[in-house]
Amino acid sequence: MSTQSFSTAATVSIRNLSKTFAATGDAKKNKRSANGDGGIVRALANINLEIAPGSFTVLVGASGCGKTTLLRIIAGLETADADGGFALLDGAPVRGPGPDKGLVFQDHRLLPWLTVAANVGFGLENLPAAEREARVAHYIALVGLNEFADAWPAQLSGGMAQRAAIARAIASRPRILLLDEPLGALDAITRLRLQAELERIWREEQITVVMVTHDVEEALYLGDTVVVLSPRPGHIKHIQPVAIARPRERESAVFQELRRQLLEELELRSHPAGGDTAAYEI
Amino acid sequence: MNPKTLFSFFPKWRTLARRALPFLLPATVFALWLYITGTTVTETNVNGETFETPLINPLFLPHPLTVLAGFGELWRDQLWLDFRISTITVLRGYVAGATIGFTTGAACGLSRNVESALAPTFNTLRQVPGLAWLPLLILWFGAGASGKTVLIGLAVFFPVFLNTLQAIRGVGHEYIEVGHIFGYGRLGLLRRIVLPAALPGIFVGLRYGAGVAWAVLVVAEMLGARRGLGFLLMRSQEMMHTNHLFVLIFLIGGVGFSLDYALRRVERHLLRWKRGFEG
Ligand SMILES: Nc1ncnc2c1ncn2[C@@H]1O[C@H](COP(=O)(O)OP(=O)(O)OP(=O)(O)O)[C@@H](O)[C@H]1O
Ligand SMILES: [Mg+2]
Repeated sequence: MSTQSFSTAATVSIRNLSKTFAATGDAKKNKRSANGDGGIVRALANINLEIAPGSFTVLVGASGCGKTTLLRIIAGLETADADGGFALLDGAPVRGPGPDKGLVFQDHRLLPWLTVAANVGFGLENLPAAEREARVAHYIALVGLNEFADAWPAQLSGGMAQRAAIARAIASRPRILLLDEPLGALDAITRLRLQAELERIWREEQITVVMVTHDVEEALYLGDTVVVLSPRPGHIKHIQPVAIARPRERESAVFQELRRQLLEELELRSHPAGGDTAAYEI
Repeated sequence: MNPKTLFSFFPKWRTLARRALPFLLPATVFALWLYITGTTVTETNVNGETFETPLINPLFLPHPLTVLAGFGELWRDQLWLDFRISTITVLRGYVAGATIGFTTGAACGLSRNVESALAPTFNTLRQVPGLAWLPLLILWFGAGASGKTVLIGLAVFFPVFLNTLQAIRGVGHEYIEVGHIFGYGRLGLLRRIVLPAALPGIFVGLRYGAGVAWAVLVVAEMLGARRGLGFLLMRSQEMMHTNHLFVLIFLIGGVGFSLDYALRRVERHLLRWKRGFEG
């Protein structure tokens, strides 16, 4: 249980990390697969990444390139291949999941039998009741769900559920916060507001954040570093430091220039005439 | 004016009509019953005398007032004691069977080893219809309540066991992962994730078991007992007290309904979070 809050931000080192999934479902039966390698999926191959304590790292890349898998390995929910390197948290190999590693899943995964408030307090069971309630109220207010504290998850919209999931993850004050497309289900305005909120939370809580997104502007607004992954097998194609002072202006020339470069890395500008509207998101 | 416009003018009538709807069928049947048993026909016997006779022989279908009188007769004949022994027996057997069914089902659901050790035997025994145990149980425990309690326990055990096992097996891995992320150990996972997630499935077994329990008890009392509502049913039939049969059938139905209603209320409360899905 997460009783104490973890004051120091974590360092993450990923060394030669590889992850292969065995064949599942029909691929095994048919002894064939899309990539013709006997039904195995090489989700990640030879990933090396150093994540400084208190930094904000953003992972971008096409669907299926292994972003979720990488987060799950850091969270301890998945293990790397036996001979496939490892993830280190403050120099110690990640052995399994725990409250020092917060994860917001791609699907919100609120527990449907608990109210929003009880979900947010789910990781705080060992706190004294008064302190728990205060902390729950604080984080519910932070994501703007005051009026829905006693609602059931089934009564929330997708974006509200996602906000509740963010509140739940940060309420137990992890040393590293892993976010898997946390703002994916939000409308544009809420999204901008929550990007600012995320930045503020990150600054105030002084935690290491690793976030997955499909939105290049979001990546550049939030990230100290943007890591571009490429699929089949998932590998690091490019690491882009973002040396723009915060809070960042999306309209600034330097921001727009970085955005253009990043989209190029993602190979979304190969059709300059036709692909412009589609180029906004990956 | 057609009823639709009438109802839209008086929205309260509409809710009233909807509330009344479930009572329409029983009221119709009752009216029919009153009518048939109250109708007489004129017949002429061999001597040429005419006389009034009921349309249907009261031995087959007594008048509602005769049934009411039958209730008085049964009451004076200590109906309360039979009612009490039946309901207490069914509650005892139910609680015992449901508790054991739930714990063994949960144990099998949580551990494949326990499942391999127990489930095949239980699945074999399950094929024996509950009432087939009755003669043996009467031999061991006599025709009294303790044998019936064991019988009901057996009948309730299997549905609760199976549904609990399956409900726990069906708990989504995605919720377990949430428990892992927040550092819950085995016991915490069980308490905060597995049981709440499995509760809808567990209740299927609990409610089904309640229906089975009451049915098995009544039949068991009919087959071999010295007290209880089922026993009274058989005795009333032998004595050709048809009106008593009606009283007892109403009573048995009422108890069954109350059992299910009570469980449904508990279920509605515990699973109120699901209402959002069901609309
Ligand atoms: N449990 C699993 N079993 C088998 N294959 C898996 C499993 N989990 C992921 N994969 C495969 O690994 C690859 C990477 O999956 P992953 O979920 O990490 O992608 P992603 O980058 O998060 O994609 P998206 O942007 O669509 O969420 C995919 O090809 C996927 O099919
Ligand atoms: Mg993903």
